[in-house]
Amino acid sequence: MANTLRPYLTCIRNTLEAALCLQNFPCQEVERHNKPEVELKTSPELLLNPVLICRNEAERCLIETSINSLRISIKVKQADELENILTKKFLRFLSMRAEAFQVLRRKPVQGYDISFLITNYHCEDMQKNKLIDFIVQFMEDIDKEISELKLSVNTRGRLVATEFLKQFI
Amino acid sequence: MACLERASPALKEVLLKLHRAEIPREIDHHIYEFGSVKYHIQASASDPYHVYLSVSTPLLSQGTVAVDSLPHSTLETVKRFYSDIVEVIEPQRGGYQLTLRLNFDKLPHGKECIKVISNISSVQALILSSQLKEMLWNLGSQEISQGTYKPIKLVYHPREPFFVIRLPQKITAVFPMRFRDSTDVIIATAFFQELMDAGCSEACAKAPPCTWSPIPPPELRGEPFEDLSTNGGFVSFDIFSQHVEGTKLDKTVWSLLNFSAYVKYHVKCTRGFIQRRMRKRLENLSEVLQISRTGENELNTEVQGYRCMRKLIGLSKPKNFRRKCGTFTKKFKRIHSPIKIHGFDRFRQRWLKIPKCHSFRRNKLD
Repeated sequence: MANTLRPYLTCIRNTLEAALCLQNFPCQEVERHNKPEVELKTSPELLLNPVLICRNEAERCLIETSINSLRISIKVKQADELENILTKKFLRFLSMRAEAFQVLRRKPVQGYDISFLITNYHCEDMQKNKLIDFIVQFMEDIDKEISELKLSVNTRGRLVATEFLKQFI
Repeated sequence: MACLERASPALKEVLLKLHRAEIPREIDHHIYEFGSVKYHIQASASDPYHVYLSVSTPLLSQGTVAVDSLPHSTLETVKRFYSDIVEVIEPQRGGYQLTLRLNFDKLPHGKECIKVISNISSVQALILSSQLKEMLWNLGSQEISQGTYKPIKLVYHPREPFFVIRLPQKITAVFPMRFRDSTDVIIATAFFQELMDAGCSEACAKAPPCTWSPIPPPELRGEPFEDLSTNGGFVSFDIFSQHVEGTKLDKTVWSLLNFSAYVKYHVKCTRGFIQRRMRKRLENLSEVLQISRTGENELNTEVQGYRCMRKLIGLSKPKNFRRKCGTFTKKFKRIHSPIKIHGFDRFRQRWLKIPKCHSFRRNKLD
């Protein structure tokens, strides 16, 4: 793990541990409705201050908390055009299959690449520390996967190019 | 677009079938490839040893106007290449540029036969290669007037023209690259950079130097704007005399003709590779989340011991009891009287019924 990545992920982990104390809270506007307050933002007293954790200008994480739900949005680094296209493709691929991850939001928050929405029901259904582990591992894996994909695409390109040039020899 | 393989697979299959057929067959078959290449195969049962093959293909031209008939030199090359097995019929059939008569009685037997049929199936590749070869030779023999090197635009596919420029020491082939999708552009750009790097490596030191630039090279200055507007940049190959010596000429010509198809095939394969890898990764990531479900670990822990005991341990006590009762009830129900007695069913239901396990629950009134 890169030296700057460890404190970044530790900071996110600690913030999530502190923020993930969600409880069931019915909607104050509509009777017999139970909605994630972080999405609706109807009652300001139910919202906590959002936390923005930045690794650098290109990589950041926004954690928005409310009484019954938490939203975490991630911006993944994109150093060049190839990384940009790979990140977009991969995160779009995951978002389109959001049903495989119960906590994944189909559409990311504006300005971010991917968003998760964790409600009190998710916390009841899953173990809190495992859920945090998943988020942190997801962030690690995305970085690793994008780097590996880029490397693979370039390696494939190199092999194909060499084979093409060998035809002339 | 040219095919990466020289021989047309569909044509080869039809010809092999015809050759292997024990009973002479009547055939009138049309094959279309890449939208613009057309083959017509004709055979009659009365003349089983002669098959007529007509070919129509977009020809390499030095402009936008399509050429209708094959040049004389190309016809000569075809005649020379196929010698006695194939005869060129003149004039060719309507709508086609070349008609060949295949003498199946002169075909050799065994593996040689497949080789000959593969050669016949690569007739389109032969036509194209011979045309480009001739153009390269003409370029070589031409005198350069007033020190200017005018690029020659070669149109094989209307959307994929390329340029050949003759310089004193070399011939430069410039490919303007166009792609439909921005993803394709980025993958192709990465490939072109690798192509340049690979050209500098020791393994490919003898290959023609390759350069890629997002802007048109200075040699193309003065060409029409529509030819120079690309989204994938320009790839140039510098071909020296050592690349066109003897048998290398054939390889060089074929590689140049197929360059666009080769790049597009690589882009398509890379997209598929990315998709496969993403799908695999999705499975791994979703597995991590599944583990976080409460009590998942407890359920998954495997009980050691014999199979029958493991089954019992796996179930809870009330479940075990209900299971045993269920088996007993099923056995009892299976006993049927062979004689039907009127009203016995009602009697059995009332008096021979075994109470269900969950009927032990207490009522509110109790």
